[in-house]
Amino acid sequence: MQIKRRGLLLGGTGLATASTFGLARPAIAQSEPIRIGWLAALTGPSSAPAIGFNRGVLFAADALNAAGGVKGRKIEIVTRDTQGDPTKAVNATQEMISQLKVNAIWGPTNSGESLAVTAIMARANMPNIHPCVVDSLIDPKRYPNAFRIAPSSTQWDDAVRGYALNIAKAKKVAVIGDTTGYGVSAATASAAAFKKAGADVVYKTTIDATQSDMTPDMLRARNAGAEAIIVWSVSTGMIGRLLNTRAKMAWDVPFIGHPSLASGEIAQLLDKPENWKKVYAVGYRSCSYDASGKLPPHSEELVANLAGKVNLQDTLLWWVACGVDAVNLIADAVNATGSTAHEAIITHWNGLTNWPGYFGTYTCSATNHDGYPEQDVVMSDASSGRNGTFALAPGYE
Amino acid sequence: MLASILASGLAVGAVYALIGISYNTMFSTSRVMSFTAGQVGMLGGVLGSLFILRLGLPPLLGLVLTLASCALLGVVTEFVAVRPVLKSLDQHLYVLSTLAVALLVQNLTALEWSTEPQPFPALLRFDEGIWDEKYWLPILACAATVCGLEFLYRRTLVGRAFVAIAQDNFAARALGLPERNLRIASYALAGAIGGLAGFAGGQLLLAFFANGPLLNFYGFVPVALGGLGNNRGTVIGGIGLGLFQQAANFLVGGIFSSVAVFALFIVILLAAPQGLFGAQAARRV
Repeated sequence: MQIKRRGLLLGGTGLATASTFGLARPAIAQSEPIRIGWLAALTGPSSAPAIGFNRGVLFAADALNAAGGVKGRKIEIVTRDTQGDPTKAVNATQEMISQLKVNAIWGPTNSGESLAVTAIMARANMPNIHPCVVDSLIDPKRYPNAFRIAPSSTQWDDAVRGYALNIAKAKKVAVIGDTTGYGVSAATASAAAFKKAGADVVYKTTIDATQSDMTPDMLRARNAGAEAIIVWSVSTGMIGRLLNTRAKMAWDVPFIGHPSLASGEIAQLLDKPENWKKVYAVGYRSCSYDASGKLPPHSEELVANLAGKVNLQDTLLWWVACGVDAVNLIADAVNATGSTAHEAIITHWNGLTNWPGYFGTYTCSATNHDGYPEQDVVMSDASSGRNGTFALAPGYE
Repeated sequence: MLASILASGLAVGAVYALIGISYNTMFSTSRVMSFTAGQVGMLGGVLGSLFILRLGLPPLLGLVLTLASCALLGVVTEFVAVRPVLKSLDQHLYVLSTLAVALLVQNLTALEWSTEPQPFPALLRFDEGIWDEKYWLPILACAATVCGLEFLYRRTLVGRAFVAIAQDNFAARALGLPERNLRIASYALAGAIGGLAGFAGGQLLLAFFANGPLLNFYGFVPVALGGLGNNRGTVIGGIGLGLFQQAANFLVGGIFSSVAVFALFIVILLAAPQGLFGAQAARRV
């Protein structure tokens, strides 16, 4: 059949009219996949967390799709590797908003990238959940679309201070940070909070992570009478050197602080494995095992589900669990509201009350977008890592 | 405290001195300050750890392979970043070209090795405390290098040719010395010296990609203090820098020690712009 210009014009007009009256739209919408944008630093420096989160994301999406999806709609994960670079994160975010038309975004997973993209997502009113710790990333007035499902740096700080003062019973502390922007600001905030809580900060310093000898700083801390060393640094080299120096000084002062204290990289930098004892890192109750070696029941259920499908030996359980929760939170919003409209998802999240995730039990409101429960931030025995989980530090019930 | 200042200060000072000698060796034949010196030092630690710890090679073979790899990087630097800009030395384009190679090396190391510090193997397991090998190995390496260079420059024909090129490039070429080949050899030698610095200081600095800028920076200070091209002055400057830095770590601590180091550095340069052991440059009028 020959296609004539008049026929084409008529056909086109008919199609346009049909779509104007919305005849085809509901059917298409109901069969369209739910697109979840995933801003993941899967390669480059600091890629370990995103690799762990990614395992949880893919596991959750596969599980939902295998069960028939959400109201018959499949979950589609749209991943962009940001390589930890804020510029790439900005480009990927803009692509997800304007071209890929995702329904919600999970990530980025580090604060540097998140600081760069949060305002962009807010302008597009894009539902966003992330695990980044910097406090200012969550502000329901400026960023009504952004929700956090991991602890903030204030929550970390509270947990460390609470453990040092109430369980380790240290009244005189030395606070040590590294010279990065994070290390300096975290150490300053931590020292101020200790003072406010009535503790005596007998020594505070920031150390260049490449400094080869930590003896001067440790000697100063000991001479000042420190009963606990509070560490705010992601530098495993610096932490390893501090621990080796403590051992050489035959000083059994506890180290309490940043999750990096429990990093597996530290083990190979230690002169002796026992140098890692009496070191307590920020951890999470859901991913901490008790004296009998058992995780909380909900986490045991997740580990059983992950068995044989997701490798937990070279990652942390909380990264995987948080990735699972992120996808499930988005799916739950679509399931509850029957809509993928941005406003519907955000409104649903604003009403979350004790939502039972694997990593945490989340509660949000219109004025509080920090969903992670503060009491679930606990201290772990840093040297007790086992399949991505840690033993609770001594002193917890 | 004094023992700790001496042990740690001398060791790290010896590493700085070796990096300074690497700068001087490249400068002597090309009049170029190559900012790859620190990165080669960093690679000495990384490759040493790779060959010995990861690949399980014997330490001696690991050392030889490390020095050979670093020498090769020196030669590549000469071809890629130095030779193309030699004709316009007065425009100082080598600053950009050598920095570019340095950044390339650093980023490749971060991507392919690790962004976290990795352990460097104990080679001799001699003793602990201030007699730990991490303190005396850099000093031994520095002493061996200085003696070796003295022998090379004073007792061998190749060494004398190096000195001739360093003293008067044009006259040496007029006498038929293979200036280009000697320059390549000097870059290989500088690479090996830088690699030795990182290898000997591996236990002290760890196998860490971020050591490159640190060594670039602190390795340059003894060159400026000791006088450009003056290896003896560089060794004294390096050792002095290490001791002062470690003493400042104990006395003022943390980041303030860097402030103290560079405040002193500026004061010395104001008082003696040619360096403490450098000769005033003669200017034809």
